[in-house]
Amino acid sequence: MVPRIALHFTWLLLAVCVHAGSLSLQNPRFTITSSTAAQLRADTLSLTEKPEPLKLEPSDTLKLTFQITEKSEGKGVQPHQTFLRFYDSVSGEEGIQPVRVTPGGKAKFELNMARPPASLPPTTDHPLEVSLILGSFVHEPTTFDLFDLYVPSSYTPAPHPDEAKFHELPLIHHTFRPEQKLPPKFVSAVFAALVLSPWLVLLGLWSKIGVRVPHLFSPRIIPFTVLLGAFEALLCWYWVDLKLGQVLLYGGILAVPTIFAGKTALAATGEWRTGQN
Amino acid sequence: MRFFVSALVSFFALANNVFAKSSTGDSVLVVIDPSLKKEDYSKFFGGLEERGYQLTFRGPRDAHPPIEQYGVPGFSHVILFTPETKSYASDITPQSLVGLLSENTNILVTLSTKQTPLSSLSAEFSLIPPPPGTPLVSHHPARSEPATVIPIPVSESPLLTPGTSPVWFSGVPHAFGNSPYLVPILHATSESFAADSLDDSGADALVDASEKAGEGLWAGSHLGLVTGFQTLKNSRVVFAGGVEMFSDEYASKALPDGTPSGNEKFVKDITAWAFRETLALRIDNTTHHRAGEEVPPETYTTNDQIVYTAHISAYDPETSSWKPHSGITDMQLEFTMLDPHIRIALPPVADEPGKYQVQFRAPDRHGVFKFVVDWRRKGYPLLQTSTTVPVVPPRHDQYPRFLSAAWPYYAGAISTSVGFFLFSALWLAGDVEGKKKKGLKTE
Repeated sequence: MVPRIALHFTWLLLAVCVHAGSLSLQNPRFTITSSTAAQLRADTLSLTEKPEPLKLEPSDTLKLTFQITEKSEGKGVQPHQTFLRFYDSVSGEEGIQPVRVTPGGKAKFELNMARPPASLPPTTDHPLEVSLILGSFVHEPTTFDLFDLYVPSSYTPAPHPDEAKFHELPLIHHTFRPEQKLPPKFVSAVFAALVLSPWLVLLGLWSKIGVRVPHLFSPRIIPFTVLLGAFEALLCWYWVDLKLGQVLLYGGILAVPTIFAGKTALAATGEWRTGQN
Repeated sequence: MRFFVSALVSFFALANNVFAKSSTGDSVLVVIDPSLKKEDYSKFFGGLEERGYQLTFRGPRDAHPPIEQYGVPGFSHVILFTPETKSYASDITPQSLVGLLSENTNILVTLSTKQTPLSSLSAEFSLIPPPPGTPLVSHHPARSEPATVIPIPVSESPLLTPGTSPVWFSGVPHAFGNSPYLVPILHATSESFAADSLDDSGADALVDASEKAGEGLWAGSHLGLVTGFQTLKNSRVVFAGGVEMFSDEYASKALPDGTPSGNEKFVKDITAWAFRETLALRIDNTTHHRAGEEVPPETYTTNDQIVYTAHISAYDPETSSWKPHSGITDMQLEFTMLDPHIRIALPPVADEPGKYQVQFRAPDRHGVFKFVVDWRRKGYPLLQTSTTVPVVPPRHDQYPRFLSAAWPYYAGAISTSVGFFLFSALWLAGDVEGKKKKGLKTE
């Protein structure tokens, strides 16, 4: 943008020196009136220095008047292209509005914010840079920077349904079920101790009366006892590690000797009871 | 020896394909208007042939070679230098051109001030053609060429070489619809406008036209001159507002400030994009597995740690091969069942080119999920992939076990087992006191 303006000004200077067919702006004036026709601001535009930024409320009207003349003779001309350019440098939006110029070069432009022209670009709260573009088949082209303009913000147009997919979408985090809360270990320990307390009672009572187990290691009893213990161990192993199929298999294998050992043990106890009788 | 010679011969015969410039093939059909001379565009066509493309020329009304036969496209790319042709042979219709795009063929279209079937085709691609007979005109910058021949500065774009000089343009502008699949390549300058007048007295007509049309004046930098469109099948079509931009005359014409124009480089860049040499990406493969494993399991369980990997490569026209590409920083992965349950970034892995990986926790919900990657950006092809996996709830033995809250129950059950064993052992082992009782009874 900057280099192009510089290019225009160098051409302008060159044109002034070499070829006298360049355009100039005479008496550029602007007026801002409110909806009640009260004049809010009026001034002449200086082409060397931008004025304070102009502000338009939703019901205000901006009127711009100027005359285009040939620099050398001061005669009014109607160039081919007399456009006002509204440019938002932050968003890059641009709007071009042609201005009607009489054959004598006099131009008048009115911007009524109550009925804005279609050429006004979508606006935000940033100012629009307003410049005048003059172009002609017979004269040198020129551009004049006029002023900065604040207008009310516009609505954004409806986007295409696929537009969102062309940008990063917001991240979605899954809310997991919170971890199970367990009661304190101390409480569990106390109740486990409570559950185990009858053993203490049993052990205490046994110590008082004494336990008489004369046949404990008899060879006809011990296989059954050991196999029963193996069954208990298998159950414990199932609890920790095994699957059902495996436990049934091992249990089935263990069951066979247990049956025979059990029969032997019961026969032995039967004999001892009848034998002693 | 004979085997060697024949192998060498077939190698050279196939070498053309091996050193293909475009990722999708190098046969190009150029449909050129009889009023245009091929020699006027020798730099453009010569440049294409130098890059490895095979060009075939025909007129719009020639029946041979056909652009497609029985639904199969005859060429990988099509250039339509027919800005003013209103009637074509029966194989070129807007429907057949759209069909070609569906079959992965790329197209370069040139437009003009005349209303042709191609300008109504451009309307289907979300471009708004101007009223007929209104070429682009600009009085800025001051120059000796007529107002319809305009030097346009080239703005930054991922498709174009940075620092390209302004290009000479002569033709029509177009306005953009709101499709995000459009890729604007060259915009008009702020001071240019579309007009059919040739002297200053046309000023009133300009103002009248803008007030009548309702959409404002066709002016300003929101007008496009060269625009691309990326289709969902990843084929590309470029609409250029004029054919003179490709000509030798414009390539060698100097700009108003004396520097050479950027036309040659510019048309090379846009054909490189249109024919899928540059900005061509693809997903090579994707894998997924649990953290710590390497093979994808049959099913995932809820709350599993899942690792998803994608390999992406970009086409390198210098070596005509697909090279791993780690330049995508904003790719996202979605874990979806009807709606995305999880959307996270899929970043590139630091030391492995082309590999993108992320680890995340499967949601609490069970069901059939999909890993979805759907990456779309202006100018780039669509990268889309979807892999379906089942997520099942935990089995009966996969829940947390041996909890501290269960200690009393463990104690009770174990006590019962131990008690049973002790009782059996003690009963079998115990003494018998039956004699006394018997004695008492018989007394």
